[in-house]
Amino acid sequence: MTYLKPTFRHPKMPKNKIGFAKADYEGAVSTLCAGCGHDSISAAIVQSCYEMSIEPHRLAKVSGIGCSSKAPTYFLSNSHGFNSVHGRMPSVMTGANLANRDLIYLGVSGDGDTASIGIGQFVHAIRRNLNMVYIVMNNGCYGLTKGQDSATADYGSKSKSGTENVFQGIDLTAMAMEQGATFVARSFSGDKTQLVPLIKAAMSHPGFAFIDIVSPCVTFNNHVGSTKSYSFTRDHIEATSAIDFVPKRDEITVDYQEGDGVRVKLHDGSTIELEKLSSDWDPTDRQSSIKQLHAVKASGQLLTGLLYIDPESQEFHELQQTTERPLNELREEDLCPGSDALEKINQSFR
Amino acid sequence: MIAAERYTEAYMINWESNVFPGILGRTCDRPCEPACRRGRVEEEPVAICRLKRVAADNKGEVKSLMPDAPAEKNGKKVALIGGGPASLTVARDLAPLGYEIHLYDEWHKGGGMMRTQIPAFRLPEEVLDEEVNYILDMGIHTHFNTYVDSLKEIIDKGYDAIFIGTGAPRGRDLNLPGREEADANVHIGIEFLANVAFEHVDKIGEKVIVLGGGNTAMDCCRTSRRIGGKEVNVVVRSAFETMKASPWEIEDAQREDIPILNNMPPKEFVVENGKLKGVKFGKVKAEYDETGRRKLVPTGEPDVFIEADDVIIAIGQDNYCPWIERDLGIEFGDWDLPILDKETFQSTLPSVFFGGDSAFGPENVITAVAHGHQAAISMHHYCEGKDVKERLAPMTNLVSQKMGIHEWTYDSFIADDLRYKVPHEDKAISLKERKVEVELGFSESTGFKEAQRCLNCDVQTVFTTDSCIECDACMDICPTSCITFTNNGEEEDLRTRLSAPAENLTQDLYVSEVLPTKRVMVKDEDVCLHCGLCAEKCPTTAWDMQKFLYNVTKAH
Amino acid sequence: MQKLSAVNDFVIRFANVNGSGSSSANEIFAKAIFRMGIPMSPKNVFPSNIQGLPTWYEVRVSEKGYMGRREGVDIMVSLNPQSMTRDVEDVAPGGYFVYDNSKPLLKEFIREDVTYIGIPMIQMSIANYTNPRQQQLFKNIIYVGALVELLGIEMAVMKGIIADQFAKKPKLIPPNDLALDLGANYVKEHYTCPLPLHVKRLDANGDSILMDGNTATGIGGIYGGATVVSWYPITPSTSVVNAFESYAHKLRVDPETGKRNFAVVQSEDELAAIGIVVGATWNGARAFTATSGPGISLMSEFLGLAYFAELPVTLVNVQRAGPSTGMPTRTQQADILASAYASHGDTRHILLFPSTPEECFQFAAKALDLADRFQTPVIIMSDLDLGMNKHMSPPLKWDETRKYDLGKVLDAEALENTEEYGRYLDVDEDGICYRTLPGAHPTKGAFFTRGTARDEMARYTEDGAAYKRIVDRLMKKWETAKQRVPGPELYQSGNQSSAGVIFFGTTTYSAMEASDMLKADGFDLDMMRIAAFPFNDEVEKFVESHDYVFVVEQNRDAQFRSLLINELDVAPSKLIPVLNYDGMPITADHIRNEIENSPILSLVNGKTQKTS
Repeated sequence: MTYLKPTFRHPKMPKNKIGFAKADYEGAVSTLCAGCGHDSISAAIVQSCYEMSIEPHRLAKVSGIGCSSKAPTYFLSNSHGFNSVHGRMPSVMTGANLANRDLIYLGVSGDGDTASIGIGQFVHAIRRNLNMVYIVMNNGCYGLTKGQDSATADYGSKSKSGTENVFQGIDLTAMAMEQGATFVARSFSGDKTQLVPLIKAAMSHPGFAFIDIVSPCVTFNNHVGSTKSYSFTRDHIEATSAIDFVPKRDEITVDYQEGDGVRVKLHDGSTIELEKLSSDWDPTDRQSSIKQLHAVKASGQLLTGLLYIDPESQEFHELQQTTERPLNELREEDLCPGSDALEKINQSFR
Repeated sequence: MIAAERYTEAYMINWESNVFPGILGRTCDRPCEPACRRGRVEEEPVAICRLKRVAADNKGEVKSLMPDAPAEKNGKKVALIGGGPASLTVARDLAPLGYEIHLYDEWHKGGGMMRTQIPAFRLPEEVLDEEVNYILDMGIHTHFNTYVDSLKEIIDKGYDAIFIGTGAPRGRDLNLPGREEADANVHIGIEFLANVAFEHVDKIGEKVIVLGGGNTAMDCCRTSRRIGGKEVNVVVRSAFETMKASPWEIEDAQREDIPILNNMPPKEFVVENGKLKGVKFGKVKAEYDETGRRKLVPTGEPDVFIEADDVIIAIGQDNYCPWIERDLGIEFGDWDLPILDKETFQSTLPSVFFGGDSAFGPENVITAVAHGHQAAISMHHYCEGKDVKERLAPMTNLVSQKMGIHEWTYDSFIADDLRYKVPHEDKAISLKERKVEVELGFSESTGFKEAQRCLNCDVQTVFTTDSCIECDACMDICPTSCITFTNNGEEEDLRTRLSAPAENLTQDLYVSEVLPTKRVMVKDEDVCLHCGLCAEKCPTTAWDMQKFLYNVTKAH
Repeated sequence: MQKLSAVNDFVIRFANVNGSGSSSANEIFAKAIFRMGIPMSPKNVFPSNIQGLPTWYEVRVSEKGYMGRREGVDIMVSLNPQSMTRDVEDVAPGGYFVYDNSKPLLKEFIREDVTYIGIPMIQMSIANYTNPRQQQLFKNIIYVGALVELLGIEMAVMKGIIADQFAKKPKLIPPNDLALDLGANYVKEHYTCPLPLHVKRLDANGDSILMDGNTATGIGGIYGGATVVSWYPITPSTSVVNAFESYAHKLRVDPETGKRNFAVVQSEDELAAIGIVVGATWNGARAFTATSGPGISLMSEFLGLAYFAELPVTLVNVQRAGPSTGMPTRTQQADILASAYASHGDTRHILLFPSTPEECFQFAAKALDLADRFQTPVIIMSDLDLGMNKHMSPPLKWDETRKYDLGKVLDAEALENTEEYGRYLDVDEDGICYRTLPGAHPTKGAFFTRGTARDEMARYTEDGAAYKRIVDRLMKKWETAKQRVPGPELYQSGNQSSAGVIFFGTTTYSAMEASDMLKADGFDLDMMRIAAFPFNDEVEKFVESHDYVFVVEQNRDAQFRSLLINELDVAPSKLIPVLNYDGMPITADHIRNEIENSPILSLVNGKTQKTS
């Protein structure tokens, strides 16, 4: 029976810099529908972590509720995961992140989890510039409750039963950009060549890194008339640029001609390379990015790729001035002021 | 089928092609096991050989399932010289077609080297008799105890075709100082084994040296242990690692307290007062010249003398057919080997075919069987006046195996178990009695577990380009990273762009038609587990698991 | 007219306008009495408003040390025309009415049985201060100065408080002192001072402190090792986190780097506040949040998650009057059931009921330990009265040898030595399993935390048997917790009576006073203060061994009584509710009256009479 994944792996699979094979980043076999875009995103996460040589246990995955939020079970078995409550991943993530600033935090959410029940927490995590990767697996519908439109369903998109959506869809990337997110990207589950470098860059970004990923629901939203199907998405995608991510330790080999590409250096020394960038906009200029996003949307296309990045991003811990040591490592000697200090306090209340 | 406890059917499927499941299930050299794909993902292949024995041991009545020779013959007569596996295979294939078959052998029973060279503790006589008799009972005219000393005489009897499967009957000797004086206590391996098998010899000295590192040497030393040999040493010229014997046979010998001394070429049979005292050996090491050729050079250490009452020389065997007159039109090449068509096994005399060891030199039983099948087709075509070279393609068929979500009609579960060891008879018992079979065979439950290790080569992943929506699910789930969606290219180029290294160049890549995104699906079958997850995860059944039926071409 | 006359035993109430700066003046007044060593208890009765609505400040002075509210106002300091009709009415016969006579008092406010003391507060203020805001503020200090003389307060003590308060802004000391003198001199000139109702130095307060419960709770969080605190502002709990944060800035900042050993997040709502706590404790930090009734409702979903997924949560519930927004600035103990069983499904949470600031401090630190030990929510059930009013309290004490109980957490080394780790395996058979923290070990101990059912190995399951094993084990853990939570306090050795009284939290002050009253009336009832839920054996025994038990609490529905009935399987007729739910702290008179008027008391009457 195939809901168990064989343990055998390709015997010649290479290992990464820290000696892990890709298999070391895998999770349980997905229980999502066959062909679900979410599974592709899980695979892209596995690929990214493998290529980034992240120790699997030094990453924590947090999700809310929904099909997307089940996904963290299907990657990184050696990482702790937390499938919390609906729409509340950002707050759980905030607490987790505050407790230990040394881990990499990967939040996984869906369009219901983020654009409806969790929209409040979503914008507040952005506001705080929480150091995390926030992935929305966006299929425009509620899968687990059998296919209702979600808040990101596009205006005019047809449901499986043929009804047209009469409400405006929420564009999470536009919202994130307006709210001041310091890293905003959009991608498609079916395009790993774009998605993997984006995830890698997001993991290296110090601050809130948002990736809205169109991830078709094969069961409820992959029919003709849906604007979040595999074929519609493929036909309407317009990428900002070809993207490559160069971690800090690697040498940069590609040399761009002027006007051909842009290189964005991150805090940790790694580099994002944007090749064949559309002209007259600057991904480090928020206004220019917002303009571009709306222009492409107006033309009926879906802009994907790295939409905006703030290379000067200051993440929540910096804003909070928290100590360099993870707070969860502090003990009595660091935290308890002692009885002398307490007696001073008492004295001030007499 | 073994896992499903359908032993009889399993036996018959096996019998169709390899003719001697019970025999081969014990004694085969297992050329198939290195091909087993299990060996590509872990240390050891499925114990295919010993599973055949499980089928043979547990089968029900099979004779009624085997073809009968028709009462009405087709009027053609063929002669088979030699009663070994090659000839018996020819007989098995041609008898049902109505041929009148005459089988000649010098011994009193069929089986050839399977009887003379494989000791009873590895292959009980009953098993041999049973499977030989299934064939002989197809109305074969046997001419036992008949040593054919002239092919011409046979030809003159007017057979429509003649098959020669007389093996490689001559054991090599070793002409060293003292050889002649010691002759009474120096034996040729295969002769020694035959003599023991036919009970012409029932004892040997306490101290025995076996010279040689092949399977015959292993059989000789182990036989010696059973007929009086107490200190039995196997001595090989070169390094242990270069020994020709199957690893499991070497293990079995060692388990019976037989040391294997290596890098020691024999120099002299030491004889005192006309009696063999032992053998003097030099000490060498391997050196390789620029061309990579190995040369054994003396280490300079003093020679070693090993005492022995008897020495058995098992250093190989040669073809030898003095009984084939050289003026019959059968041409011979080097080493007294006939010149044959490599596919039809036809000699330069069109009516004469060769097979088994007598065709291309010493090989093994399963090769002899393969020769037999091919020679039988050739002989049939020859007798029918058709092109001897003609071969029908093997029958193949693909049938979908999907039952439902998570469920396939084949056993898609991939067991992690390592290869199981076959249990052995207690050493004290098996060494005492020569005919006690050492290997006990897998129990039914172990057989089941071992069969579960099979990676289902019989079930193929079949891709339909038109149905694919390029969701990547198959690529993402594949445990062994066999599947890649990438831009099209030449195979050589594709191999560099796959999810995992594709270094087995003998395994062609499976490449789809071009997909809507201009990419192609490329599958490197090399380490595919046939677990079915790609098809499981495919929302459009672009992937399907289909059972692959294969019937080897036989004379018909 | 018989003027009220007493030394160190009266109630004075200040009627002010919210936002006029009166509260700090009133606190200075209260503190002076405290510093003279006279037991006293101040209470703020304030509106849900920032400016303009009436607000009252009441101080009970009690030589006997009764800290509960007492009904009746002996001295009314009236500074709010809006509430004057009622304020006049509230004065006890023979009492005193202090007012600003800068303009004449309307006839309608004149009572025969009240002594009126007019002081031209604003006139003096205008005459001495130029800035209108100052004129407002110093008017308050002027009446405090007047009270110094009227009530026999030592001026040196009062000026000492001013000196302390403005130690960092010494320029403000002389104008304050002037205002005190203006008031004092005016009454000295115009009235006989002190009044028959006055104070006299007692030096009875020992090392007590005067602190509000929320401040103590916040300091408890500091001492208990909380590093992540998140909350959404809500009265009356906001000052818990304010206190934590302000002390953290003093005590938890590395003087060299300026880096903080804490993080406080003002969240977007209560859901996020507790979500942050859950995330932090999941990741091994000590964390807490503070809220009040509406917040409890919003946090319920997360409380259920924490209960079921077994994550520590420390939650301070400073209760106020509900339901809904209710009376947000009035006190109640009305979230008992909502907290004990917060969230859907079979849930139950550990509750702690502090009754003094010192206990707020202890319980805050204790709650962090208990939450880690039992991997479950622990709710500190404070209330507005305790949280926002200052109380005389024993000083806060910290045992230097005390170690945090971080509970069962396997670190990398322990995991290395563990053969098979299962997050929900009951290895020690006490219902508490071992948890691991993210990032601890490269290959061992990782698991998925979830609010869905899972088996002992933390694998998702929908198997009814596995689910049942888990929820049954949670009950086993609950049983273990009974022995670890603070036990009840008994006030007598052995049972003196066949009737008992159970109370908790801020009811304690009045309950103890009522006990004295009842004794004086001939009813010596057995008293027990409960400090925690689940109830331990002692609570069970107390209820069992009395024929009747009065359960005193501050809500309409006798929620604590329901909890006792539900958890201890007590016959409802045995537990007699004594309730107060008008939003004001319960009084001893009320308790005494309810008990003495209860038909039940006649049944136990004979047995309760003093035998001597």
